[in-house]
Amino acid sequence: MFWRKKLTAKELEEKEKSYWAYVKRQFKKNKRALFSLYFVFFLGLIAIFADFLANDKPILASYKGTISSPVLKSYVVGLGLGKWPVHFQNVDWKKDVDFDWTVYPPIPYYPSNLDFECQYCSPTKEQQGKTMRFRHWLGTDDIGRDVTAGMIHGTRIAFMVGIVAMGLACIIGIFLGSFAGFFGDTEFKISRIRLILTLLGSFFAFFYGFFSRSYIIGDAILGSNLTFIIQMLISFGIFFGILALINLLLVPPLKKIPALGKRITVPLDLILTRMIEVIVSIPTLVLILAVVAIVEPSIMWVMIIIGLVGWTGIARFIRAELLRIRNLEYIEASTALGFSRFRAMMKHAIPNALSPVLIAIAFGVASAILTESLLSFLGIGVPTEVITWGKLLSLARTAPQAWWLAIFPGFAIFITVTLFNLIGEGLTDALDPRLKQ
Amino acid sequence: MLIYILKRILIFIPTLITISILIFMLSILAPGDPVEKMLGATPEGDPIPPVAYNAMRKELGMDLPTFYFSMSSKAYPDTLYRIPKQAHRENLARLIGEHGNWPEIDKYFKKSDLLFNSAYKIERDSLNGKALIKIKEFAELLLIRYRDRDIKRAFDKLKPQIESTPSTAALMPLYNETMQSYNNVTSNQSKWKNLVPAFIWYGKDNQYHRWASKFVVGDFGRSYQDKRPIADKIGDYLYWTVILTFISILMTYLIAVPLGVFSARMKDTTQDGVLTTILFILYSLPSFWIATLLITFLCQPDYLNWFPPYGIGEVGPDAGFFETIRIRGYHMILPLFCWTYASLAFLSRQMRGGMLSVLQQDYIRTARAKGLSEKKVIWKHAFRNSLLPIITLFANIFPRMIAGSIVIELIFTIPGMGRLLFEAIKYPDHPMVFTIVMLAAFLTMIGYLVADILYAVVDPRITYK
Repeated sequence: MFWRKKLTAKELEEKEKSYWAYVKRQFKKNKRALFSLYFVFFLGLIAIFADFLANDKPILASYKGTISSPVLKSYVVGLGLGKWPVHFQNVDWKKDVDFDWTVYPPIPYYPSNLDFECQYCSPTKEQQGKTMRFRHWLGTDDIGRDVTAGMIHGTRIAFMVGIVAMGLACIIGIFLGSFAGFFGDTEFKISRIRLILTLLGSFFAFFYGFFSRSYIIGDAILGSNLTFIIQMLISFGIFFGILALINLLLVPPLKKIPALGKRITVPLDLILTRMIEVIVSIPTLVLILAVVAIVEPSIMWVMIIIGLVGWTGIARFIRAELLRIRNLEYIEASTALGFSRFRAMMKHAIPNALSPVLIAIAFGVASAILTESLLSFLGIGVPTEVITWGKLLSLARTAPQAWWLAIFPGFAIFITVTLFNLIGEGLTDALDPRLKQ
Repeated sequence: MLIYILKRILIFIPTLITISILIFMLSILAPGDPVEKMLGATPEGDPIPPVAYNAMRKELGMDLPTFYFSMSSKAYPDTLYRIPKQAHRENLARLIGEHGNWPEIDKYFKKSDLLFNSAYKIERDSLNGKALIKIKEFAELLLIRYRDRDIKRAFDKLKPQIESTPSTAALMPLYNETMQSYNNVTSNQSKWKNLVPAFIWYGKDNQYHRWASKFVVGDFGRSYQDKRPIADKIGDYLYWTVILTFISILMTYLIAVPLGVFSARMKDTTQDGVLTTILFILYSLPSFWIATLLITFLCQPDYLNWFPPYGIGEVGPDAGFFETIRIRGYHMILPLFCWTYASLAFLSRQMRGGMLSVLQQDYIRTARAKGLSEKKVIWKHAFRNSLLPIITLFANIFPRMIAGSIVIELIFTIPGMGRLLFEAIKYPDHPMVFTIVMLAAFLTMIGYLVADILYAVVDPRITYK
């Protein structure tokens, strides 16, 4: 192994005694949770390689002597970095192009491929005119879309939603919760002028960062995801840039005036608790529906909204942990050694407060996937062409005799949610402080 | 204790105000023009005459600015809200964003509006039929497009149509004036104004204030969808949601609590393992999936036709009491099942967890050593101490009652609050959305207060001083 640092025997022993090594060992003892984790990795692989597992383009193909990979090329085209050669544009890959030889993915259909010869094909009954290679193994829906392909690509969407939504919730939740929990209501002191200027400045920063750019951002949303991300980054850059300028340039000279430089306490904990109370008082689904009604349908907005609504749980957990940790001796020691409170929080307190956050993340991913399938089941927030598990399940409502539409996608949702719940439970047991020897 | 309750109730007020502002903003931002919807406009039909539009707008109270103040740039006029049509307002805002000179844009807008309305005043005769249609189409484009090339293209296409027949040629001078005013807009740009922030104060005469002041006195207004008073509508739909929620909670608590206690006592036996697994699976099953499966397999003539899939059943006007219960109950079994099983599983697990941690305590061992019967040990001593998680869940009942279970009600077509809210958000029926969400928020906070009081009742060590 050339990439791992060789540890001495003593360092290995020390590593084994560390808290996270202990947690890993405890987790591995729980066979159910371990199995769930491996299965989740397996599903993750399916999600990553979905295009290679179910696609209407060949993985490898030889056309007039040149070997190429249309699947990989589709990634390049999708990013906007390349274009299809003329003979490949707008073709039906199976019928129109005369390949020398092809290697097709196991499921030779893309979820949005329509197959009018085989509408509402049942997986158990005979499918007209289909060889074993092209059989719809899990049936089709009312316009002939293959269910297996839909399930495979649905895995990708489900995982993306889970990870991105929880990632966003984590970032916001950990940031706000740790400041509120560690500094409480009494510790966060800043000079009066800094508070006033930052509050005023945030209005200006918001104005120049977002308001005057609102049309640019609005147009970028309709464009590709890449332009939207770039524009949002620019906006955030302007926002924080203005705040940084104010804090670095305007505040230091003005701080010297006694009346302005007076230190006042900002009750961070109180502010955060009130914010959480406002968000929590509105039933989650109602809040999500109200926000989703404003934006136009897109998976990206669904992810962002679930994240924006779900950060409260994580913030609460990390706040509670930090309220406990800030009174422990090693934090006191860090102050005695002269470290700033901020450094004590970032380097010492937060890493030790992450255990309940991990548990919340595991359950949170499960709940995010459930919420997204609920939204696509109701037909809200997700564009009509995108096939997710919830969308397939909703198709079963209009055609109750198509039992394969009811069973398989719902089963996928159920299994994924269960797996993450089991991982969460395994983490709870592994991290339980009472069982520590 | 009483002082604590009063303090908590006082804190409700700022939280409720914040929630009301949040929901108001979210609802206003939703796309869709309620004025047009109420007048029955369709995109293909004739445009609504301005008089009717303005009258309806005033009646709905939408001719006021949205909030007490607004933060925008210097380029914006403080009277933009007076422009009736939402599509026009948005287009004007974009034009301001592009060029920044409101006085010129205002003149251009007035001219193009005049042009558009004049086209409707021209009498149709045999010659100008086709041209009139095209003129109306392109003139409208002037009002709803902001991009330079789109506007220029509309002008170019308008010219030949206007010149084509003598009756439409009368529009020519107006056309020239409109074009002139647009050229003014593009040549006298003041884009810098967009970069200067401005703060406009509207005072008490705004939509939010009007709505909020009516809300606190209990006048919830009328729904946009059918003009019925909202209080009546909510009353109708609340009836079913309350019945379903009440029965569901009763069943949940009656079954889950003993089940949880039982499984805590039977820990480490195979029965317990099986039970825990079943409960875990129940808890993870998505309710909309189970509902769909149940409808597919239990309500179809092809498979088993045990239950009716939709609705709450038709009951004749002189049906007897028991017959009413029979019909309604028959329809409600499946929705009730879907509603209940998830909370049942969750509650059992919580009960079990709480009981387990209590049973490990020393005082339980003492009670047993004292010679108390197992029944007394469990129900008199252990049970009361494990109630805390149960009470927490009780606090969530009230918001569930309001939001109903949107999914179950939609799938089984039950006329409950969840469906009411869903349709209101989609419409968008702003007064309905505010009212329901505010009620939900209010009930949530009452729920938490009740839970805190119950904590203190159940555990005398908890005091609020």
